[in-house]
Amino acid sequence: MIFREVEDRDLIAKARRGNVDAYNVLVSRWEKRVFNYLLRMVRQREDAMDLSQDVFLKAYQNLRKLDDPARFPGWLFRIAHNEAYSLLRKNRPEGELTMEPGTGSQTARMFPMELSLAVQGALSRLSDDQREAVLLKVYQGFKFDEMAEILECPVSTVKSRVYTALDLLKQTLAPAVARETAGGTE
Amino acid sequence: MSCSEVDLNAYLLGESPAAERPRVEAHLRSCGACHDELERMKATQAALLALPDEEPPQRIAFVSDKVFEPRWYQAIWRSGPAMGFASAALLAAAIVVHGFAAGVSPAPKVDAAQMEQRIEREVNQRVEAAVTKAVSDAETRQNREVANVLETAEKHYAAQREADLSAAQQTIAYYEKKMNRWLVASNEEVRLGQ
Repeated sequence: MIFREVEDRDLIAKARRGNVDAYNVLVSRWEKRVFNYLLRMVRQREDAMDLSQDVFLKAYQNLRKLDDPARFPGWLFRIAHNEAYSLLRKNRPEGELTMEPGTGSQTARMFPMELSLAVQGALSRLSDDQREAVLLKVYQGFKFDEMAEILECPVSTVKSRVYTALDLLKQTLAPAVARETAGGTE
Repeated sequence: MSCSEVDLNAYLLGESPAAERPRVEAHLRSCGACHDELERMKATQAALLALPDEEPPQRIAFVSDKVFEPRWYQAIWRSGPAMGFASAALLAAAIVVHGFAAGVSPAPKVDAAQMEQRIEREVNQRVEAAVTKAVSDAETRQNREVANVLETAEKHYAAQREADLSAAQQTIAYYEKKMNRWLVASNEEVRLGQ
């Protein structure tokens, strides 16, 4: 893990000097995580792909502003967060999303399994802030203080969003989890 | 520890302080409600993690565009460690060149004791040399005077001896002549007596 971190720093240093190949290696390491974060935020494959490209382009253009290369993951997801919310506000300026679970043929093909569909539906019922909190904590593994920097809000707010979202998900997913558990024990 | 003090979310998410975790685990062993709640939370988290990651439909890659690439001097200027190393190397080279060009002159050491010893030693050497020279000169002068006296005395004695010899010779010659005259007179008397 440490070795990987050092390698990322080296790639960042080279990319800062204009080495595009080094930056492409860095992109290849992070594009899947960024894409899935954006996909679960905006829930459209094409939008997530376009946003991913924008994220890495902006990251390249602003790489010299990154003070500490060790903070690259949080810094990158800060850019992704801004891009996602920019699109969400543009598409739904009135506020919170109330997307129905399983809408769209793309998403239906993305998560064919029943539990995956249930999870996707449960995530869709959350507010953008709550869903993002779960994505960053559960799927991306950031600490609360790192999330506070990404989201530019207090740690207490982050904890509140995560706890509330997990409580809602627990209630929403209870039937699917029960079926999964019962199926697993049969 | 009561149930209200147990933060099961933080415990499950790995955000509990290390010192807190044993107390939570002890509570879970004694509280069935919290134990069941934690199991439900774990099941929910497992369900969330069952959502598979998607592969991006296409790879993101950038191509080198000369317009956006930094110029060589920009790349050097923006490279902090390289600039720092270059500056340090330049400074070191300047110090070395200055050292060879100006020559290394050690700083003068002012040591009063050593200086005093050195002066005393120098004075002693000079006094000794002066004394030696004076003694030598005196001996030379004395030897020369003795030699002159001896020479004068020898000349005097030689002259005295010659004078004595001359006087003795004159005396001898006087008595020889006187004796010869006596002989001649006696022979005349003899011859006249015959």
